[in-house]
Amino acid sequence: MSVRNALLGLLGQRPRHGYELHAAFEAVVGGKLNWDVKPAQIYTTLSRLAERGLVVEKALEQAGGPEKRIFAITPEGRNELLEWLAAPVKTEHQRDKFFLKLMLSLATGEVDPGLVIYAQRASLYQELHDLTIQRENVDPASELSRIMMLDRAIMHLEADLRWLDMIEARLDDIRRQPLPEPKARPRGRPPKTKNDSSGR
Amino acid sequence: MPIVETEKLTKIYGKGETAVTALKDVDLRIEAGEFVAVMGPSGCGKSTLLHLIGGLDRPTSGRVLVDGDDLAELDDTTLTEIRRRRMGFVFQFFNLIPILGAAENAALPLVLDGVKPAVAKAKAVEWLERLGLPDRVDNRPDELSGGQQQRVAMARALTNDPALILADEPTGNLDSRAADEIAGLLRRISSEWGRTVLMVTHDPRIAANADRIVFLKDGTIVNETYLESHGKGEEKQVRERMELL
Repeated sequence: MSVRNALLGLLGQRPRHGYELHAAFEAVVGGKLNWDVKPAQIYTTLSRLAERGLVVEKALEQAGGPEKRIFAITPEGRNELLEWLAAPVKTEHQRDKFFLKLMLSLATGEVDPGLVIYAQRASLYQELHDLTIQRENVDPASELSRIMMLDRAIMHLEADLRWLDMIEARLDDIRRQPLPEPKARPRGRPPKTKNDSSGR
Repeated sequence: MPIVETEKLTKIYGKGETAVTALKDVDLRIEAGEFVAVMGPSGCGKSTLLHLIGGLDRPTSGRVLVDGDDLAELDDTTLTEIRRRRMGFVFQFFNLIPILGAAENAALPLVLDGVKPAVAKAKAVEWLERLGLPDRVDNRPDELSGGQQQRVAMARALTNDPALILADEPTGNLDSRAADEIAGLLRRISSEWGRTVLMVTHDPRIAANADRIVFLKDGTIVNETYLESHGKGEEKQVRERMELL
């Protein structure tokens, strides 16, 4: 969805062909290290946008090489773009893989949860180390979007490390508590009740 | 031979019921040229460890060896000598002399050591240039930003060519941008200029610049992590993981 809307935005700047859009997308996200999109995805997305009337094929350019289809945004496309730009982005906090590992280490007793935390911390510090060095070597004059994304990653790592400290400090309390178990549920169909008035 | 080695280093403040154990049986080896960060919650003994290694405080028991010399066996004069010649200190509050310019501040340890002021100043300017302050050598501390003042303090710590730099929360008084710059310079002090750096910090981002992070809790080392940078420390990391398994 985001790539689709970004393409709308880039076509909102001016009409472009697929190859140009791919390059413009890469530039605006700060390189493919930040967000890698394959050219094929650009072309299929363009087709879908065209089907929905959000972009329109404006011209065919052929200067010696293979022909290039030039796309432009439509008024409908512009409306959709404005809606997308104004809407906030919800962050995702679910499905933490490390948390799953930690809970399973607690549940199974196979590995000391302290060790799981230690391994995670070492890995986070290694990532933080790598990103810090990368950030230092990026030129702020020409690669601002790369810097902003590196800063984002660095700050998330810092938060993860703080979270680990917090878990570690509470590990003894967590150990004392019973681990979450599923609620016991009787097998088979639920028994009918007298008030059941579903009519079936 | 490691440049710093502690053996069962213990520090207890106070006596009897009110005694507080700040450090307990800490064994730490730091190799020459290493950049080590010490982390842990406040009150975990980080600064105590740094002060004992720097000879600013005496242990209750255990030993500190710097370049093989047991600090406990030295008299005050020799200890002061070692502190002055072999160690450089960087603190959270830069502790610069307000009426002196950057170069004069940085040259002070050499001047106190009897080096001619002109020679001392030249050495200081050299370090100020390396640390990115070539056009600030005559500015007084109040004419410098926090980050610049800390650079002057670092130049002061480096002018008499110590092998060991001890930094106690060197970025604690700086905004995050200046903090990053100082951390980057501390890394260069070790990686490019070959000094050993031992830094205490509570900031993960700053610690991530080091080759190794030592985690202290309640006065003991609870964890250690080697950070791999261009292959450096790789072998140690592998060894460390093997031990874990």
